[in-house]
Amino acid sequence: MALLATLIQLGLSVWIYCNFKTGAAFGGINHEGQFQFVQKLPWINLDLGAMGKMQIDYFVGLDGISISLLVMTSFVLVIAALASWEIKSNLKGFFVLFLILDMAVTGVFCSLDFFLFYIFYELMLLPLYFLIGMWGGARREYAAIKFFLYTLFGSVFMLLVMVGLYLCVKDPVTGNHTFNMVQMMNPANYQLGSVFSVLSHQTIFGMSARAVGFVVLFIAFAIKVPVVPLHTWLPDAHVEAPTPVSIILAGILLKVGGYGIIRVCLSIFPDIASADAYWLGLLGVISILYGALNALAQKDLKRMIAYSSVSHMGFVLLGIASQTAEGISGAVMQMVSHGFLSTMLFFLAGVIYNRVHDRGINHFRGLAIIMPQYTAFMIIAFFASLGLPGFSAFIGEAFSLLGAFKSHSVNGLLPYWMAACGSAGILLGAAYFLWTMQRMFFGRVNLKGGAVWQTALTDLNLREKITLVPLALIVLILGLMPSLVFAKINDSVLALVHFLQFKS
Amino acid sequence: MIRYLRWYIFYSLNLKQMHDLLPFLPESINNVLSSIPYFMPEIYLAILFVVVLVTDLLFGRDAIKLCRIIACAGILLVIHRDYQQFDLLLFTAEPNGHFFFTQMLLLTPVAINFKFIIDVLAFILLLYFAWDDKLNAHPKGLSDLYSIIIGSVFGLHFMTMAANLLSVYLAIEMVSIASYLMVAYRSESASSTEAGLKYVLFGAASSAIMLFGISLLYGFSGSLGLYSGNLVIGLAQVNPLAVSFALVLVLIGIGFKLSFVPIHFWVPDVYQGASTPVTAWLSTLPKIAAFALLINFLRPFIFYNNWTAFDFRFYLAIIGIITMIAGNFAAVLQKNIKRMLAYSSIGHTGFALMAIVTFTPTGLSALTYYLAAYGLANIGALALATYFANVAGAEDLDAYKGLGLKYPAASVCFVIVLVSLTGIPVTAGFTGKLFVFSAVYSFYQQNHNALLLLLMITGALTTVVSLFYYIKIPLNLFLKRSDTVANPFVKSYYIIALAICISIVLVLLGIFPGLIMGKI
Repeated sequence: MALLATLIQLGLSVWIYCNFKTGAAFGGINHEGQFQFVQKLPWINLDLGAMGKMQIDYFVGLDGISISLLVMTSFVLVIAALASWEIKSNLKGFFVLFLILDMAVTGVFCSLDFFLFYIFYELMLLPLYFLIGMWGGARREYAAIKFFLYTLFGSVFMLLVMVGLYLCVKDPVTGNHTFNMVQMMNPANYQLGSVFSVLSHQTIFGMSARAVGFVVLFIAFAIKVPVVPLHTWLPDAHVEAPTPVSIILAGILLKVGGYGIIRVCLSIFPDIASADAYWLGLLGVISILYGALNALAQKDLKRMIAYSSVSHMGFVLLGIASQTAEGISGAVMQMVSHGFLSTMLFFLAGVIYNRVHDRGINHFRGLAIIMPQYTAFMIIAFFASLGLPGFSAFIGEAFSLLGAFKSHSVNGLLPYWMAACGSAGILLGAAYFLWTMQRMFFGRVNLKGGAVWQTALTDLNLREKITLVPLALIVLILGLMPSLVFAKINDSVLALVHFLQFKS
Repeated sequence: MIRYLRWYIFYSLNLKQMHDLLPFLPESINNVLSSIPYFMPEIYLAILFVVVLVTDLLFGRDAIKLCRIIACAGILLVIHRDYQQFDLLLFTAEPNGHFFFTQMLLLTPVAINFKFIIDVLAFILLLYFAWDDKLNAHPKGLSDLYSIIIGSVFGLHFMTMAANLLSVYLAIEMVSIASYLMVAYRSESASSTEAGLKYVLFGAASSAIMLFGISLLYGFSGSLGLYSGNLVIGLAQVNPLAVSFALVLVLIGIGFKLSFVPIHFWVPDVYQGASTPVTAWLSTLPKIAAFALLINFLRPFIFYNNWTAFDFRFYLAIIGIITMIAGNFAAVLQKNIKRMLAYSSIGHTGFALMAIVTFTPTGLSALTYYLAAYGLANIGALALATYFANVAGAEDLDAYKGLGLKYPAASVCFVIVLVSLTGIPVTAGFTGKLFVFSAVYSFYQQNHNALLLLLMITGALTTVVSLFYYIKIPLNLFLKRSDTVANPFVKSYYIIALAICISIVLVLLGIFPGLIMGKI
C-alpha cells in the first residue's frame, strides 16, 4: 500500500516536472506570480482587534529549486518503500509513520507560507523519532532523542524569528500581518521601525537584529544539513536507523536544510547573507574536510557513509555561499545527486547488514568473489560518489567549486583558498571510498563470521535489483545530461542571484 | 479562628449602624436585584450544589450514579448560562465589563471566557472522577466529592469575577476549602496523608499571609474595592517600599494557587499524593481561575499612569523566567509520572506568566487560549496516567516499559497529548505557544525591553527541555521492551474514549485555532 502511495506520488511529481514551464517569466523566488501549481487557500484568519488580523494561508507553489528537489524526494520515497521490506515487526505502525513523514517532507518543499513551512518542518520530527526509536539498532533510544533534541533546539528559535518576521511584515494588499515568505522577501513590506526592517537598523543585545535573525535561522537549518560543528546527531541517527529511514534521512532530510537556507535564509535576509558569505563558505569548507577526514577513520560502513554525507553537504553550503549562478546551480545539483547517491549507498549498506547483521568494514574481505553483482553496484555508487566525471556528483561538485572560484572575481565573497580546499575534499573523498572498496571487496575471501557468513551472503535478489538499477541509471543520466536538472532550475537560480546582487 | 472573629466583629458593627443606613436600603436592594441577571450561572451552581448534596443525603450510598448524572447535567446547564452571558454584555453594550453587587464583582468578557473554560473542564473532570479505580474504591463512594466539586466551581466563578479585595479573599478561601477536602478525600498511604496535611497547612498559611497583605493595603488606602474608591490612588502616595511589601504578600496568596516559584514547593508532593483525578483538578481549574484573578487584580495598577511603586511587569517577568527554568529542569529528574507532570505544570505557569506580562488585549486572549489548551491536555495526560494505573498498575516511568504495543490506542493518545503539552505542531499546545510568543513579540516591538526577549528565549529553551522529559513517556511506552512478566490484559473503555476525544480536539485546535481563538 505504502509502495503504491509513493508510486502514485512519483507519478504525480513526474507529471508536474514535465508540465513545469521554464523561461524568464517563471523565475519564482521573490515574485509571487511566477510560482507554478500554486494553491492558496485562506487557512487561519483571526481578528485580533487592535493588532489587526492574523493571516495564515495554505499557500503552496513550486519554482525551479523546489521542483527538482520534489521529484528527487518522491523518487527516494519509492526506494525507501522498497527498502522497507526488511521491516518485519509492527508493519502498520511503520507505514503510518512513513506516510506522515512523506507528507511532511513534500509539504516542506512546496510551502510558501512560513507558518505552513514550519508546521511541516516540525511534523517531520515526531515520525522520525519513532521510526528511529522503534525499528532502529542497538543504541536507537540515544540516537532518536539526540536527533529530536538537536532539531527541536534549532526550530524553537526559528519559531521566535518567524513570529518576529510575521509581526514586521504586512501584506500590501490586505494590510494584515502575514506569514507569506514571498512577501517577506520584499523590504518594502516591512513596517517602518519594526525589528527586522532593513531600514530601521534595530539591535538585539547590541547586535543587528537582522543579523541575529539570520544566524538563528541559519543554525536551525545548519543542524539539519548538517554543518560541522552541529553534525554530531547525524552519525548516530544514520547508523541506528533502519535502512529505509537512513535513506530518508540522508536522501531527503538533509536537503530540507539546504533548501531552507536557500529559500529562507538567503531570500529573506539577502543583505546579511552577502555580508556573512565568508563565514558560510568557511563552514562549508570545514564540513567538507572534517567530514571526509572522519569518514577515512570509520570502521563501520554506515558511519563512513554518514560522514561522507557531511562532507558532500559541505559542497552545498560552499556553493550557496558563493552566491553565483554556477555555485547555486551546483548546490542544487549536488543536493539532487546526493539524494540519489546516499539512497543507493545506504540501501547497499542495508543489503549486507540484513544478511549478516554486521557492518564493520574490516569484518569483510573479498566480497567481490561471493557477491559479484552487489560489488558491481557498490563500485558504481562509490565511483559516482567520489565525483567521477560522467556521474551526477561530479557535476554538482564541479559547479559548486566553479562558483566558489568565480566568486572572488564576481562578487569577492569567497577567497580562492576555499575553493582549493574544497577540491582537496574531493581528493579525500576518493581516498576513503577507494580504500573502503579495497578493504571490503578485493583480496582473498576472509569474513569475520567464517563459513556461516559465506552462506548467508547471497547475491542480490530481484527486489534489490529493481531498486538499484533505476538508481544507478539516474545517477548516470544526470551525469551525462545535467540539463535535466539545470534546465528546470536555471531561471530560478538566475532570479535568485539577480535578487541577491540587487539587494547587497 | 481569629479570622472568623474578625468577620463577626465586622458584621456586628454593621448591624449597629443599620438604622443609619435605612434610607439607602431601597437603593441597595435595587442594586442587588439588578445584579441578579449577571449572576445567573452562579445561582444555577448554588442550586446545583444544594440539589447534589440533598440527593446524596436522601439516597445515601446508592445515589452515586444519580449524583453524577445530576452534577454533569447541571454543569452543562451552567455552560449554557455562561454562553448567554456573552449576549448579556453585548445587549447592555458594555464591552469592557459590568460591575454588580455594589462593585464587589465585575463581569468582563475575559471573565466569561475563563468561566466557560472552567466549566467545560469541570464537566470533563466530573465524568472522569469515577473512572479512577483507586478513587472509586473509596468506601464512602464519590457522591460527596461531586458536591464538593460543584462548590469549588462556584468559588472558581467568583475568582474570575472578584473586583474587591474582600471578594478576592472570599473566592480564594472558598476554592481552598474545597481543595483541602478533595486532596485528603482518599489517602492511600502515609505519604498521601502527609500531602493532604501539607496542603492544608501551606494553604492556610498562604491565605493568612494574603489576608495580612490585604489588611495592609486597606490600611494604606482606606479602600478595598480594586476599581472603586481610591485604592490605587491612595497606594501611589504611600511609601513605595511598604506598598511593595503588602503587594508581595497578596501576590503570595495568589501565587500559591498559581504555583509559581518560589511558592511552588507544595506542588510535587501534593500532586503525587492526591488521587490522580484530584491532581487533574488541582493542576488545571484553580490555576486557570487564579490567572483570571491575577488579571483582575493587576488591571487597576497597570492602567493607572502614575503607578511607580511596584513594577508588576518587571517582577512577574523575572518570576516567569525563574518558574519556567525551575519547573522544567526539575521535571527532567522525576521518575513518577504524576510528579513529573506536577513540575511541568509549574513550568507552564511560568510560560503563561509571559502573556500576563504583556497585559495587552492580544496577550490576554493568547493567555486564555494557552490555558484552555494546557488544561485540556493536562487533564488528558492525567486521565491516561489513571488509565495505565488501572490496567497495568503503572505509576513510574519504568513500569510503562513496553505497554505501548499492548495498549496502542491509549498510547497514541498519550503521545498526542504530550506533544500538545510540549508545544509541537500540529496541536493546540503549539498554537497556544505561538499566540503567546506573538503577543509578547508585538509588545516588545512597542517598548524594546530586553527582558521580554529574555522571556521568549527562556520560553523557547525550556520547550526543548520539556521535550526531553515528556518524550520519556513515549520512550518507555514504545521504545523500551518490557522486562517483566506480562500482566493480564485489562479492558477499560471509558478513559480511552475520553482520551481520544481530547486528542481529536487538541489536533483540531492545532489546525484550526480560529475555532476558539476567534471568539476570545
